[in-house]
Amino acid sequence: MDNTSVIDLRNVRKTYKGRIEALRGIDLGVGAGEIFGLLGPNGAGKSTIVKIMMTVVRATAGGGTLLGKPLGDKGALARVGYLPEHHRFPPYLTGRQVVDFFGALAGMRRTERRLRTEDMLELVRMRDWADRRLGTYSKGMQQRVGLAASLVNDPRLVVLDEPTDGVDPVGRKEIRDLLLRLRSEGRTIFVNSHLLSEIEMVSDRVAIMVQGKVWAQGTIDDLTRSSRRFEITVRGAAPEWAASLGAVRVEPASSTIALQVADAVEAQPAIDRLRAHGAIIERAVPVRESLEDLFIRAVTDPSSGGTFNPGALRDRPSAPPPPLEAAP
Amino acid sequence: MSHDLPQGTSWRQTWAIVVAAYRELNARKLFWLSLLLSGIIVAAIAGLGLDEEGISVFGWTFESPFFNSTVVPSATFYKLLFTNLGVEWWLGLGSTVLALVSTAGIIPDLVSGGAIDMMLSRPIGRGRLFLTKWMTGLLFTSLQVFVFTGACFLVIGLRGGSWEPSLFVAVPLVVLFYSYLFAFCALVGLLTRSTVASLLLTMVFWFLVFGVQSGEALTNWGRTGSAMEIASYENEILRREAENPNDPYLEDLLEERDAQAEDDATWRLVHNCFMGVMAPLPKTGETLELLERLLVDRSGIQAPERERRGEGIFGSNRVRAREVRGEIDRQAVSRSLWWTIGTSLLFEVAVLVSCVWIFRRCDF
Repeated sequence: MDNTSVIDLRNVRKTYKGRIEALRGIDLGVGAGEIFGLLGPNGAGKSTIVKIMMTVVRATAGGGTLLGKPLGDKGALARVGYLPEHHRFPPYLTGRQVVDFFGALAGMRRTERRLRTEDMLELVRMRDWADRRLGTYSKGMQQRVGLAASLVNDPRLVVLDEPTDGVDPVGRKEIRDLLLRLRSEGRTIFVNSHLLSEIEMVSDRVAIMVQGKVWAQGTIDDLTRSSRRFEITVRGAAPEWAASLGAVRVEPASSTIALQVADAVEAQPAIDRLRAHGAIIERAVPVRESLEDLFIRAVTDPSSGGTFNPGALRDRPSAPPPPLEAAP
Repeated sequence: MSHDLPQGTSWRQTWAIVVAAYRELNARKLFWLSLLLSGIIVAAIAGLGLDEEGISVFGWTFESPFFNSTVVPSATFYKLLFTNLGVEWWLGLGSTVLALVSTAGIIPDLVSGGAIDMMLSRPIGRGRLFLTKWMTGLLFTSLQVFVFTGACFLVIGLRGGSWEPSLFVAVPLVVLFYSYLFAFCALVGLLTRSTVASLLLTMVFWFLVFGVQSGEALTNWGRTGSAMEIASYENEILRREAENPNDPYLEDLLEERDAQAEDDATWRLVHNCFMGVMAPLPKTGETLELLERLLVDRSGIQAPERERRGEGIFGSNRVRAREVRGEIDRQAVSRSLWWTIGTSLLFEVAVLVSCVWIFRRCDF
């Protein structure tokens, strides 16, 4: 990844009719050549932010740039590939016609379009089905053709909203591999997905949105840094005095001592003291929060223990989620 | 258009949308059903014929001393069938209803969730996207009218022995007539995002426009007849005064004329109201009548007598219905193109500008 900003959103707000605040001041930056994952519960405003970037929805306030051009610039849109969630292509068109159609809408010349259409159909392994009408396709096949249509214009930025929706596990792996391949070609990929494990597997950076705001953004490593610890399991009950080692948690029942340290080197003095007192070390492992743990923490209301209401109303704003640093 | 886009992008986009629209029509059974019905009507017209003995229907001759090729030339017979059956009933009603059923979903389909997102994310302006999609809706009618007119052109040429390229004036005028309705249909489709609502409300609108036009025609009949009757009284009063200023009937005539003048004022008021309502609305009926007149003028068809029954009007024995009809026909001819097409196009443009304004501001 280089430092060039491909997506740069500043204080983007969106209020829908009924005074529903879908976005409450979004600042988001995506660098060139990275896979960026946007996470959030239903109603957090993920699709709205994508639609604002793609000019499907107009922002109430704020703005930004896409590929260095203001949002809505036609030249920039010609170099963007977009696959919306729940897309619906005309059932009377064949797969090849759909891909060609969106190539033409991007302004591609006929010869170039034909070559790219064949290449993209091959890429998503739909060439054998290319001349069948979409009405005969399964959900997964439609998703593949949608991917081909979003890539036909050789985009510098690919925006995918739930790309693995309706795709079987094999297809999901293929899509993940495709994303990595696109990144290796220097493209920037912006993925909006509910599937945390998939985002975790491929994303360089992520942002978590809650109630119309970005709760946190950065590399997964950065976001989970505060939760890093070293867990030492000893034979028998963990000694009471282990707390004096700087342990953040001592669980005698499970024989586990958790140390809040940055790496194994910092854990060595505690291990030495335990061994000096005759403790037998059975296991010593570095542990950190998973993306799912982080996500659940973001969407959980600490006061009630339940998840936040989806979205937010201007007249009745929910309590904001706790900041990332306040996490255990 | 951004300078970053390849040259010719607009044309490529427009062409892609038109080709996709053609593929959509091709996939719709109603398009082919409509063409089939057109074929049946053309075959029916071709199956009819006139010879010296009478009228022939698919080879069987029915003798008639009043209706044969010596009374009505074959070419005129076919042209009359084309204008009265083909244009007035088929293109102006049957085919239009089928076209509305087929195309009412174009705008609701465009703006439905999942379909519009990818279109809007491409480098095409919203206004151009909407208007291009709207124009593809006229493709259905254009193809239907062109094929039907072409087939009738061949029938009139081969069976009637008269080649009349002027028949093709039907193509732009019928498409124009349809475009008034389709503009309204697009507006409803955009607002409701429902095919059923846009179809039904367009039918209702068409019916209302027809009702207003019929009301205007009826009151114009009364107003014209009344004015002619007053003129008739005036002439008789002048004649009697000249012959005998003390004519005992003069007073009665003056009273009757004054009573008629009161009626005339009412007719004028009601007719003016209808004209006021009708002015901003599309002139669907008059556009088709204009087509009929153009065909009559250019193809040399003798306009059929529409009214032969009844000697009076509204109980009057002073003015003949035929004379009133003649006067109304003269009024219709004297109405300008601006009135018939100009005001209709103004309506259409106003509706389309509203559509584009809404479409550009919509969130999807």
